[in-house]
Amino acid sequence: MQNQEGLQADADMASITPIQASEVEDWANFRDDDIMQQQSAIRAVEAEKIPLVGDKEPLSSLAAEYQSGSPILLEKIKVLSEQFDAIRRTRGDGNCFFRSFMFSYLEHILESQDQEEVHRITGNVENCRKTLQSLGYADFTFEDFFALFLEQLESVLQGNEASISHDELIQRSRDQSISDYVVMFFRFVTSGEIRKRSEFFEPFILGLTNTTVEQFCKSSVEPMGEESDHVHITAVSDALGVPIRVVYLDRSSCDTGGVSVNHHDFIPAISDAPSGTSGGSETKPFINLLYRPGHYDILYPK
Amino acid sequence: MSGTSAPSRKGLSKIACNRLQKELAEWQVNPPSGFNHKVTDNLQRWVIEVNGAPGTLYSNETFQLQVDFPEHYPMEAPQVIFLAPAPLHPHIYSNGHICLDILYDSWSPAMTVSSICISILSMLSSSTVKQRPTDNDRYVKNCRKSPKETRWWFHDDKV
Repeated sequence: MQNQEGLQADADMASITPIQASEVEDWANFRDDDIMQQQSAIRAVEAEKIPLVGDKEPLSSLAAEYQSGSPILLEKIKVLSEQFDAIRRTRGDGNCFFRSFMFSYLEHILESQDQEEVHRITGNVENCRKTLQSLGYADFTFEDFFALFLEQLESVLQGNEASISHDELIQRSRDQSISDYVVMFFRFVTSGEIRKRSEFFEPFILGLTNTTVEQFCKSSVEPMGEESDHVHITAVSDALGVPIRVVYLDRSSCDTGGVSVNHHDFIPAISDAPSGTSGGSETKPFINLLYRPGHYDILYPK
Repeated sequence: MSGTSAPSRKGLSKIACNRLQKELAEWQVNPPSGFNHKVTDNLQRWVIEVNGAPGTLYSNETFQLQVDFPEHYPMEAPQVIFLAPAPLHPHIYSNGHICLDILYDSWSPAMTVSSICISILSMLSSSTVKQRPTDNDRYVKNCRKSPKETRWWFHDDKV
């Protein structure tokens, strides 16, 4: 039973609604209910084709995507393949940065069994909890998310009752009821860090969205599905004390002739080595993410 | 073409139930001012009395909000509507549907029933005119039962 009235009559439906330009862009081509339903059905089917966290694939699968595309990208992928040998894709649902970070971090702990790192990050998580409390968040709003992350962290350490295998880690990362909760945990941590150091983040946020720090956290950090950029990455890396390398794959070319691939290392502010020569190998990140405009995937170094 | 699936009313997940109990306990200790939750044994549907703030267009008026929680609250937003008679307000339809972004796209699990209430009261208080949305009649005639399903209408054609 569709309503019979001409659907184009909805033209001024939105006239009273204060909505943000970015949302309008996304939905601007939704003319009526039918198309809307069709579109969201297509979207749901598309999304299901890509699991929240995919399988590990050889880097050649990345090149295959651009076979008939930009030669610069193919050149860059060639350069990339000198350092990395595999990619793991994540679903493009706006949570891809946090989800990639989650999987990459837990997988690293599972493989390294680095107890010291687990001990260290647990301390940071406790500090994040205190940050949120001091910012006025009620405990019940975030404690379930914190508990779920700590549970995953414990389970990737072997030798206790809760221990899980690599396969189980993949399964959990694909299980929305676990995966989304961990993503939300990172969103809380990120928001807390940005608010706590609002005078530091303010200029970046102003440059990005022209909103207040408070408003930015409310509309671009805390809701699920809101994409991340350098502000989010800096904040989560600082808060948890985890260095992150982001490798950029885009069409930009450099003037010097040879093709190179840019990357940026997010090194936690606190553990900053005494300033001086750049690129100490001690802080080389174990989290490697591939950024293509609008999306993050996980990279595996050789 | 017959896509009007009625929203199946599933029970609360364990985690949702747990969260709501804590939220209710907190509300009872520290309710947002101007609001009164009529406690029932139904955790999944809260009916909340809203008192218009003094010095605003709605002072001395009382309304009722109905809040229905989905299975996966708080990952999913609750459904919030005004029970009849809904306040006369440019963002509130006569069927009680409320045009407020945090109830739909901008919902975050960091929010609470209490923070929703405060946003709604602030929306009422900042109103300068008591009137329905300009498209009220057509919207009310055509919309789906739940405002969570019809939210996209708000985005339509605002280009």
